[in-house]
Amino acid sequence: MSGPVRGSLERERRQAYWLVAPAVVVLAGVALYPILAAVWLSLHRFILVFGERRFVGLGNYAYLLGDARFWAALGNTAYFTAVAVTVELLLAVPLALLLQKSFPGRGLLRASVLVPWAIPTVVSARLWAWMFNPDYGLINRLLLGRDINWLGAPGYALHAAILVDVWKTTPFVALLVLAGLQGIPEDLYKAARVDGASPWRIFRSITLPLLKPALLLAVLFRSLDAFRVFDAIYVLTEGGPANTTETLSIYAYKTLMRSGDFGYGSTLSVATFLCVVVLAAVWLRLLGREERAR
Amino acid sequence: MVRPLFFSLVLGLVFVSLGCRRGEGERERGARLVLKYQPLWGPPEPFRALLADFEEAHPGVTLVTEALPNSSDLAHQFFLTSLEGGAADFDVLVADVVWVPEFARAGWIADLSEAFPPERLREEFLPGPVEAVVVDGRTYAVPWYLDVGVLYYRTDLVPRAPRTYAELERFALEAKAKVPGMQGFVWQGRQYEGLSCNVYEALWGHGGQALGEDGRVLLDTEAGREALGYLRGLLTRGVSPETVMGFGEEEARRVFQEGRAVFMRNWPYAWSEAQKEDSPIRGKVGMAPLPTVSGEPGFGTLGGYQLAVNASVSPERKKLAEKLIAHLTSPEANLVLAVHYARNPPRAAVYDDARLKQGSPFIASLREMVERARPRPVTPYYNLISDVLQSEFSAAVAGIRTPEEALGRAQKQVDHLMGEGR
Repeated sequence: MSGPVRGSLERERRQAYWLVAPAVVVLAGVALYPILAAVWLSLHRFILVFGERRFVGLGNYAYLLGDARFWAALGNTAYFTAVAVTVELLLAVPLALLLQKSFPGRGLLRASVLVPWAIPTVVSARLWAWMFNPDYGLINRLLLGRDINWLGAPGYALHAAILVDVWKTTPFVALLVLAGLQGIPEDLYKAARVDGASPWRIFRSITLPLLKPALLLAVLFRSLDAFRVFDAIYVLTEGGPANTTETLSIYAYKTLMRSGDFGYGSTLSVATFLCVVVLAAVWLRLLGREERAR
Repeated sequence: MVRPLFFSLVLGLVFVSLGCRRGEGERERGARLVLKYQPLWGPPEPFRALLADFEEAHPGVTLVTEALPNSSDLAHQFFLTSLEGGAADFDVLVADVVWVPEFARAGWIADLSEAFPPERLREEFLPGPVEAVVVDGRTYAVPWYLDVGVLYYRTDLVPRAPRTYAELERFALEAKAKVPGMQGFVWQGRQYEGLSCNVYEALWGHGGQALGEDGRVLLDTEAGREALGYLRGLLTRGVSPETVMGFGEEEARRVFQEGRAVFMRNWPYAWSEAQKEDSPIRGKVGMAPLPTVSGEPGFGTLGGYQLAVNASVSPERKKLAEKLIAHLTSPEANLVLAVHYARNPPRAAVYDDARLKQGSPFIASLREMVERARPRPVTPYYNLISDVLQSEFSAAVAGIRTPEEALGRAQKQVDHLMGEGR
């Protein structure tokens, strides 16, 4: 290659950096800065009412390790995430298989299945709060004669919140699974049928293995999302009764915005962030292994 | 080149005209005063007329009202962020009774002691609200209207209002046994600020105090344990339905209003609802002070709103803001709020006004209860600790922790916030 060509390539490359630079700056401003600011704040004792702002190093983190409320919130969050995502997957796979079949009215069904997902969470949570009302609610009426205090009794409230989350996001998971299903070559099914495989065998040996990347992706999306759950639970219970539905996000929010304890509130936010990062790393590694295996 | 020139010309003109407006006439002329408040439910005209009176007395001043969210928590959040940021786009603000010490401590609201000396407030206003707005001997807000926790009872189901907790329990269980499907006593047991109010009322009824002599928030005390044990006992003994753990004001009111509960703890607003034309319990409702252990009339939680001045506004605007507060908290204004919006006057003298007795006999009848109303712990740190209180109180009411455990845990967290834990 002659000199002028290489020179123009070099120029183009430099130009590319300049073109990308604004986006990088904006991203650093809106994504990186708040994270770093939160980490920096988490090293301070900074409570609005006191008007003091004092560096305490890892003091907040030391308190966090002994904070029973933090561990309870972490437990609630983990339980919520694990149960909600599992149930969503179990429901979404049959739903996706159903939606893939061609039958009259399929388009309408596909569209209507997505309705819960399209409703803003705050609105649907309000709706559900009424349905869970022990006196007027639809749920107790459907359970004929049962008088369950859904949002007021510990043990029930978190499961009520899980139900709302499942109702809302199963369609989304089903959609992801459906996309995965449509990526499976039809030939494989034809070949299996020629070989006389039973529907269950086809599902186990063809559909499920080939669906795995899509399922893992759904788990990745959903578990990260569920781990940060805030709006649905906040509208339903505000974290009550007795903090049995308090997730990490709600604890952090209350500490930051209601109490004005910016130091410890940031510590809680950073802890939540770290949990999400770990979770993401685990799923991405699994996903990567799956991709390589193909 | 033409465009920048044109642009700067226009800008220049704007500045010149602004300067002229500010320069001419008296100080008040052209002033814009912003009142940040929570909407008063009811007909808008009487309140508008009240504001118009002020504008008439101060020609050249434009009053602007900006509504806040109706939820006290959300309104507090708004002030937390905007006052901390030094926002000067509003002059007069309403503060919930528990915010005044906090905002004063943080330097967000102005010292009004010159315009409203504490001694004068003590002469003219009821003791509870004065206690809530005077911090370290200085006035930081002026009481606007009051709220108080009261006991509602069904006159057709019980012989009279109960005076002790034992009586309340007995009356409730007897009525429950007679009328199928009837609940005993409904109150606010959801994990939120209303629960704290109920707990403090039980605490006072058991002879307890919210604050120690040294101003420390007292939690782990004998009366505290008894109060939480009493509330939990209401559920375990079937006096209150388990569902109260999910109740706020409105949930409790709906059950009571449908005629399905004998007793209810609530604020005075529930009275007018109960007396509406289509109310099933119209004419069958009585109201009384909350019961106590000893049988003396109980102490309701003091609620309500105060008017304060944003500390970030200029001295001239502060002067004007003080005039607006004086106008809105005058005996006449108290009367307008009482008659048209059923808000209790904080001024003692207004209760003797014939127009109040005529226009709103119900509000007038609350005088004794309002006089006995007590504020929740008056401390700058109330909002800091209320979240801890709510969760631990809720745990005790739900029976997840014993009162001892819950109060011990609350004390530990509160001490940590106060800086003793680290």
